[in-house]
Amino acid sequence: MNAAPALIQIRGVSKSYDGVHALSDVSLDLTPAEIHAVCGENGAGKSTLIKILSGIVQPDVGHITVNGRSLNIGDVHASEAAGIAVMYQESTAFPHLNAVENLFVGREITRCGGLFLNHAAMKSQTERLLQKLGVSVNLSAPAGDLPLAQRQMVALARALSWDCRLLIMDEPTASLSNRETQTLLRIVRQLRASGVTVLYVSHRLDEIFQIADRVTVLRDGRKVSTHRITAVDRHQLIRHMVGRSVEESQRSPAGTADNSPVILDVKQLTRRGVFSDISFQVREGEILGLAGLVGAGRSEIARAIFGIDEFDEGEIRVAGRPLKGGSVQDAMTSGIGMVPEDRQHEGLILPMSVGENISLAMLRSLTRWGIVRRQAERELTETQMSDLSVKAANPGIAAATLSGGNQQKLVLGKWLARNPKVLILDEPTRGVDVGAKSQVHQLIRKLAAKGLATLVISSDLPELLSLCDRLLVVRSGRIVGELQGATATQEAVLALALPDAAESRLPEAPR
Amino acid sequence: MPDTGGGRSYAWWHETVIAVLLVIVLQFAGWLVPGFLKLQSQLLLSRQLWEFAILALGMTLIIITGGIDLSVGSTMGLSAVVFGGVHSSSGSLMAASLACLATGLCCGAVNGALVSRLRLHPLIVTLATFAAYRGIAEGWSQGHSYSRFGDAFSDLARGSWLGVPLPGAIFVLMATGFAVFLSKTPYGRFLYAIGHNERAAKFSGISVNRIRFWLYTTSGLLAGLASLIYVARFDTAQADVGKGFELDVITAVVLGGTSIYGGRGTIPGTMLGLLLIHETRLLVSRYWGSDELRSIVIGCLLIVAVLACQLVSRKRRS
Amino acid sequence: MSNSQTLTVDHDSRPVCFSTRFFRLIRQREAGLLLLISLTSVVVGIHDVRFFSVDVWRDILVRCAPTAIVACGVMLVVVTGEIDISVGSLMALLAAVMGRMLSEQEFDISCWIGIPVTLGLGTLIGVFTGSLVSMGRVPSIIVTLGLLTALRGLTTLMMGGKNIDRLPEGLTQVAKQGFLGVPISILAAAGVIGLTSVLIHHIPLGRRLYALGSSAESARMAGLSEVRLKLFAFGYTGFLTALATIVDVPRLPKIESGIGSEFELLVVTCVVVGGVAISGGQGRLIGVLLAVVLMTMIRPALTFMDIGEAGEKWTRAIQGMFILLAVVSDSLFSWRQRHSGKVHAA
Repeated sequence: MNAAPALIQIRGVSKSYDGVHALSDVSLDLTPAEIHAVCGENGAGKSTLIKILSGIVQPDVGHITVNGRSLNIGDVHASEAAGIAVMYQESTAFPHLNAVENLFVGREITRCGGLFLNHAAMKSQTERLLQKLGVSVNLSAPAGDLPLAQRQMVALARALSWDCRLLIMDEPTASLSNRETQTLLRIVRQLRASGVTVLYVSHRLDEIFQIADRVTVLRDGRKVSTHRITAVDRHQLIRHMVGRSVEESQRSPAGTADNSPVILDVKQLTRRGVFSDISFQVREGEILGLAGLVGAGRSEIARAIFGIDEFDEGEIRVAGRPLKGGSVQDAMTSGIGMVPEDRQHEGLILPMSVGENISLAMLRSLTRWGIVRRQAERELTETQMSDLSVKAANPGIAAATLSGGNQQKLVLGKWLARNPKVLILDEPTRGVDVGAKSQVHQLIRKLAAKGLATLVISSDLPELLSLCDRLLVVRSGRIVGELQGATATQEAVLALALPDAAESRLPEAPR
Repeated sequence: MPDTGGGRSYAWWHETVIAVLLVIVLQFAGWLVPGFLKLQSQLLLSRQLWEFAILALGMTLIIITGGIDLSVGSTMGLSAVVFGGVHSSSGSLMAASLACLATGLCCGAVNGALVSRLRLHPLIVTLATFAAYRGIAEGWSQGHSYSRFGDAFSDLARGSWLGVPLPGAIFVLMATGFAVFLSKTPYGRFLYAIGHNERAAKFSGISVNRIRFWLYTTSGLLAGLASLIYVARFDTAQADVGKGFELDVITAVVLGGTSIYGGRGTIPGTMLGLLLIHETRLLVSRYWGSDELRSIVIGCLLIVAVLACQLVSRKRRS
Repeated sequence: MSNSQTLTVDHDSRPVCFSTRFFRLIRQREAGLLLLISLTSVVVGIHDVRFFSVDVWRDILVRCAPTAIVACGVMLVVVTGEIDISVGSLMALLAAVMGRMLSEQEFDISCWIGIPVTLGLGTLIGVFTGSLVSMGRVPSIIVTLGLLTALRGLTTLMMGGKNIDRLPEGLTQVAKQGFLGVPISILAAAGVIGLTSVLIHHIPLGRRLYALGSSAESARMAGLSEVRLKLFAFGYTGFLTALATIVDVPRLPKIESGIGSEFELLVVTCVVVGGVAISGGQGRLIGVLLAVVLMTMIRPALTFMDIGEAGEKWTRAIQGMFILLAVVSDSLFSWRQRHSGKVHAA
């Protein structure tokens, strides 16, 4: 197939859990010094493939050869010895250990015949690696206290800390800002130049087109195709991933009428040290976006509005009624709903059933004499499930068994059941596959058309631009700009959001 | 009965395992000890059960939320000493009983406040109050034990109502209330939600802190009540009342299928766990006449039951 | 978090790191414990200056020794994210086994056999506990709760309602007089502390225990064996419990079946008061040792307060208060910090 001899040959690998095929009969060749992207919807089998390569999971059938030699699959140490390194999506490996320890856990450098740790050698090697990556990291602080981007670099350094020939990167940019992403991609290119093969797994097609040499698409555990990146375009790739043609989010016609009533009115909201002087209004039927870098304070603003965090100064009114700060209950009775950033830990209670999750936020109003009315609860769940076309066998199965997209619809359903006036969506499509993503977008637009005031936070700029009527850009906990209509472009948002680029040009934050 | 709602039928296999074990123990007992299964003797021997049983109700709710309360035994001790002290100085049973319950309530409220307000780990908080409450009881009573509270008072533990021992009747009423609360009311559902995922519970508008506070307070109040019954049964109030109860109660609750990590458990399960421990104890002490053997059997039972359930659930998954 | 937008890859993040480091320094549990220990000593010392004599502190350290020895093991168990509340009953069982083997009235076996057997049995039971936890996947609090009950019963059964006395003269002499004037239990404790300290800081195994407690998932991905690490932690605890039994029990006039009751809760208390996170991955040996001293010195300190018998009865109340003080001050501090916006919300 290829001119270059393969570094790693994967042949006929299959794996099934509980009789469901996670991966079936996948064969793949990785040539030396290439960046090979793997993409596919959630559940396509990408993570299973990674786990098999790294030796955590034993496949049912199939074999892998590295440089012509057969790899003992299912043994982490054998994979390491063969030069396979993985940088996992979960960026903090050991939050309580410092960077040096994080790098060397499991393969410490020792002295005195392997008995004692060689702290000095490990430290200097860590410094060298981080220097090569162009970052400086506090080596004595627990990794969990480091900023997200630095943690990511520590994870990358860990993967590089031994002579790896294949580096697997699982969604390395999921929690990085745009600029950090660019730095990371630069490092990946350098690695390729030094002869390392990179298996790059990502949802972000832009990145794949930027750096990959070849791309493999997985769908439902099968390999659909492998292409040279120059031989495909975006639409083809999406078609392969989904198996049908999906319309990517279209730019929505901007603008609700300026005369519709203000639903959410935030005035000079301040939480000391986190954000300050935040003022904005969301009108009936309007979709307002909050853009900015990760850590700029967007999510914190949303959390304060919803009452998860307290705020120090300012005022929030919903349809004219002021909110008590720091009370989720009060925010909910005023008609605010919130789809939080972290679906698995904040949005849903995964072991509980689909039905229980939908009814959880409004259980108290489904009672008679303090007892939950079973019938009312069932009707509510079924309505929500069919309205949002949640794909689940029945309302009784655990939410954990659903796919990312369906889980996200579940969180939406939980809040829509309450008929909110204001809906806050924090990263509504993170980790959601392309198909479900466009469904979620359509749903948000439909709700806005019915008069829901919506506040969207997203790191996915194209998503914000296509979805929102108006954009506020947040930087350092302040609103630094408002963009609307034709002025709202990726470049404009970035110019405002990036600290150094904007500092001189924008002396005063517009209200 | 306690279908946890939303259409899912509760996985009852843990409770089933315990029920089967209970039947086996009873069969054995009926076979080895003639007359063991007679209702009369069972009721007579049930007296030792009720204090545990009452504590277990509160403990079940707490463990379902992923917490733990190690201080219940010490709370009983302190409540008993307060009861004795108030009775000996005022001579009023009513005042003493109220003081006893109030002490339990306050002890629980302190736990609750520390856990919910200061967000301390319940294991640490109750480990501290475990020492503190018992210490205050010891320091205050100085080893003195109060007694002679009169027949009217001991009827609380020894009397019966429609043939059922009075504490038993109190327990059955309370257990029914707790079971309905847990399986039928929104707040019951909230407890499971908190146990599974506290953060998501908060994001769903559940007032986690308030619920936590009231749970520990309730547990304290129940300890006060258990202490009252215990004092009435033995007609003595001293600092070591309830010593070691905390671990026995936790054993019963866990044996009854409540997950120590939170999120699962039922009142009927806890009742089965209590019964299993109780009957095993009776059997061992009646047949072998050995108290030591009793604790060996209970300890092994706990480990084996949970191990068996782990194996069963792992098998079901694969 | 105010400056977090500057924390891009190419930027140094010194401001955040500096502030967290600073706060960690004054937040350290050790400082608080040291303060409580010195306050108590000063208060008692002012009352009765004899409290500062060498003999008193030698006595306090001897009392500390068994707790310190076992706490070294339990600390490692807690660091891996588990807990062990069976050490009190295990100590009783080992004391009974050792007593019956060595006592002149019973089997009268040589110390050279009896002591290794005791150590071996302790380790074996620890490993057994660890295997139930790591391979059987039974929560450790449940396994050790069950063992707490079962081993206590086994002890009473073994003692058959009698106390054991007349341990071999040589053993009791060594236990009481020690080696070169230093009590043997203090020597043993010092050895164990040194060993544990080296283990934690300088041996891969020790760091791996922390790694496992910090994130079991990542540990698995790094190729660490959860089973082996947990077997070690529990086995080590069992071994240390046996050691504590051997050096401490012969000091006593006789071995009763109630020996070591509530010892397990004292040890766990010292471990958590010493700042070891109950969720695993965090904790320093020095904090645990200070907590052991604090918890142990209360009773001897009270005897110096001239309140006679009455004083000692307040021991546990004061213990409880100190525990609360230690953990509450910590949490109050982080609460204040949170409200002054110094803790990042992410």
